[in-house]
Amino acid sequence: MTIRRAAAGASIAALLPFAGTALAQTAPQQTTQAPAENADSDLRHEIEEQKQRLAILERKLEIQQEAATAAAATAPRITINASRFQIGSTDNANFIRFRGTLFADNRAYGGNSAPETADTFLLRSVRPTFEGTFGGIYDFRFTPDFGSGRSIIVDAYAAARFNPGAVVTVGKFKPSVGLERLASEPDLRFMERGLPTLLVPNRDLGVQLSGDFAGGAFSYQVGYFNGVTDGQSSDNLASPDVESDTGGDYAARVFIQPFINSDNFNLRGLGFGVGSTWQDLDGAAANPYLPSYRSQGQLNVFSYRANTATGTTPNNATFSNGERLRLAPQLYYYRGSFGFLGEYTQVKQDVSRTVAGVTLSDTLTNSAWQGQFSWFLTGEEESFRGFTPGSTWQPGKPGTGAWELVARIQELDVDDAAFAGGANSFANPLTAISKESAYGVGVNWYPWNTVKLSFNYDVTSFEGGAATGDRPDEQAYFTRFAINY
Amino acid sequence: MEQTNWKRRLLIALTTSVFIGGTAQLAQASEVTLLNVSYDPTRELYTDFNKAFAEYWKKKTGDTVKINQSHNGSGRQARAVIDGLAADVVTLALAADVDAIANNGKLLPVNWEERLPDHSAPYTSTIVFLVRKGNPKHIKDWGDLIKPGVGVITPNPKTSGGARWNYLAAWAWAKKQPGGSDATAREFITKLYKNVPVLDTGARGSTTTFAQRGIGDVAISWENEAWLATKELGPDKFEIVIPSVSILAEPSVAVVDKVVLRRGTRTVAEEYLKYLYTPEGQEIAARNYYRPRNPQVAAKHAELFPKLELVTIKDFGGWSKAQKEHFGDGGVFDQIQAQ
Repeated sequence: MTIRRAAAGASIAALLPFAGTALAQTAPQQTTQAPAENADSDLRHEIEEQKQRLAILERKLEIQQEAATAAAATAPRITINASRFQIGSTDNANFIRFRGTLFADNRAYGGNSAPETADTFLLRSVRPTFEGTFGGIYDFRFTPDFGSGRSIIVDAYAAARFNPGAVVTVGKFKPSVGLERLASEPDLRFMERGLPTLLVPNRDLGVQLSGDFAGGAFSYQVGYFNGVTDGQSSDNLASPDVESDTGGDYAARVFIQPFINSDNFNLRGLGFGVGSTWQDLDGAAANPYLPSYRSQGQLNVFSYRANTATGTTPNNATFSNGERLRLAPQLYYYRGSFGFLGEYTQVKQDVSRTVAGVTLSDTLTNSAWQGQFSWFLTGEEESFRGFTPGSTWQPGKPGTGAWELVARIQELDVDDAAFAGGANSFANPLTAISKESAYGVGVNWYPWNTVKLSFNYDVTSFEGGAATGDRPDEQAYFTRFAINY
Repeated sequence: MEQTNWKRRLLIALTTSVFIGGTAQLAQASEVTLLNVSYDPTRELYTDFNKAFAEYWKKKTGDTVKINQSHNGSGRQARAVIDGLAADVVTLALAADVDAIANNGKLLPVNWEERLPDHSAPYTSTIVFLVRKGNPKHIKDWGDLIKPGVGVITPNPKTSGGARWNYLAAWAWAKKQPGGSDATAREFITKLYKNVPVLDTGARGSTTTFAQRGIGDVAISWENEAWLATKELGPDKFEIVIPSVSILAEPSVAVVDKVVLRRGTRTVAEEYLKYLYTPEGQEIAARNYYRPRNPQVAAKHAELFPKLELVTIKDFGGWSKAQKEHFGDGGVFDQIQAQ
């Protein structure tokens, strides 16, 4: 290693080339070769210069490429494709995303199972969604719904993902109780959720702590919410999206997927758990805080008795008057193209009714269950959350999209005690069914990963709910054109 | 009333859970991560230093600290921090780039230089020439760089802090020549940049251009970078030439207040920078060819750092003036490039 200081040794070094030249000029034996050597030297010099020029050009190109790569690494990433519109940072720690669903349905009913007015086209769901993440930790979502002639806020919440085991969510969202309720709309296998979902909360306002452990093998959610009646959202309340009763609803759920990280193909898709809510709910005849239940064809088939008193006679509607406890064991199993979802939901509700100055009280137990099967004819893998069609369908091009067959059996049973007591009963057996049993089949076609066409056929049999005998069987033919962006 | 109490209890429990969740990572203070956004040639320095500091911190507190490094041209790094790169600390080539983060990004106070000794420059360096073995173009001083046929490698002052030191050292030499003035210095700088075939974005890029791509006859270089090149790429390939005049280059360090506040890393970030001033930190700097501030450590490594006439940034009226006059939009460098 040499360090040269300015001017040091310069004279000797500077003289050496000239000395060499002088020697060459004074050596007679070399005189005849000088032109050839000069030509060689010029040529070598020229080649060296060309090599330098080439190296400079290559380096400039290299620097341009490095600059382009660096710019790409820090430039905001805009993703617009068939399934996503997103603007975010390169590391995805900050982004906002636009999504949406549009469900255009047709409902038709066979036989005498429903009034002719029930046959209808409707926009079942029109939900644009804005969601995003900041700092890789803080999430938000805002989803209004303009379907079914309403304008409501479906989801509006903020979440902080401190770590996988501790996520805090605040706002309006789905309390974690029922399994099928927790599936997002685009991931539903049937157009309408099953009967057990009628007994669990839909959307509610509150706060929830949740988390996953062991790579998702164990998950939990605990929360405190305003509380809603079975199957309802807080926007259905008389004063939408505000607390309107005396107590809050405590919700908790655990879900276990013991083999999710296993190589065992047969068991990897198994998950089971239980959800629950509890609320001490003091309703009143004027504000009963009690649910209605629908058939699978979405027609009202059960309600508690409403007020029939007139004048100064006290309100005689049935109302909630005490504890409400929901319990929802649940299970799913997915293996290859096959999927099964099963759940049982039970709700125990303290109710009262005041008739002729006498208040009658009881604890009613209503329950529902379903078993739901799905099978991709085209070989895609079933799962609880989403899938990607193996092919897309476009006119004149190869590919069929994904085809799926679905089937379901289910039942909802209202406590017989609700109908005991004749005119003093909590529910009127002449208008409210005591049980509904249904089976349904359907086919889903996914020509594109954001497009879904569905046809469902459901037959529901009832016990009670008619002036004489049972309410007629319901045959529902539902079709849907869905865009899930 | 009982219901209300229950509700309150639950809200308290949930709030506590939120707090616990939020502070879970603090509670696990056993692991903390810092991001040091630095300039191009400090890779090796901070690789060594980070290891030493992690051991020191573990011994002192029992906590594990992992320091991530980011390197690029100093000006470009400052821009990245202003644009959101979450640097807990910046260790940049010159004060002007930290000033930019303070003034334009508002991420730390403008008096950041006063928070650490030696106006927050724990080590220094200077600018030298790296030439090919045997010095075939006979480069001895700045004046040789403008001779016809001499290829000069230096990065772009718009993106590289080192390039700005190079430029100012050349300017200072020109002004010190007989009859020297701003006009002659400008003429000299203009000629010098006409001999520059490639403008890299950072000092490490220039070293690559000169040493690995074989372009040019002389690289104007950080002293530490020149030493590293000769050490890593072979003392039989390069020589270091010390010019008659150079500049005292003072790389600056600072905690980025808004980032450490958000990440809860202020204490460890401050200690990280303070450790640079300890004898251990100074020794590591010297081992990586940066001139230590500590006199004892400097004396120990005196053979690495020959004495030479050094101007300072104060001779240019400070970084604020020099930056605006020479490197700002429409400044002297832009005017030269436009010619």
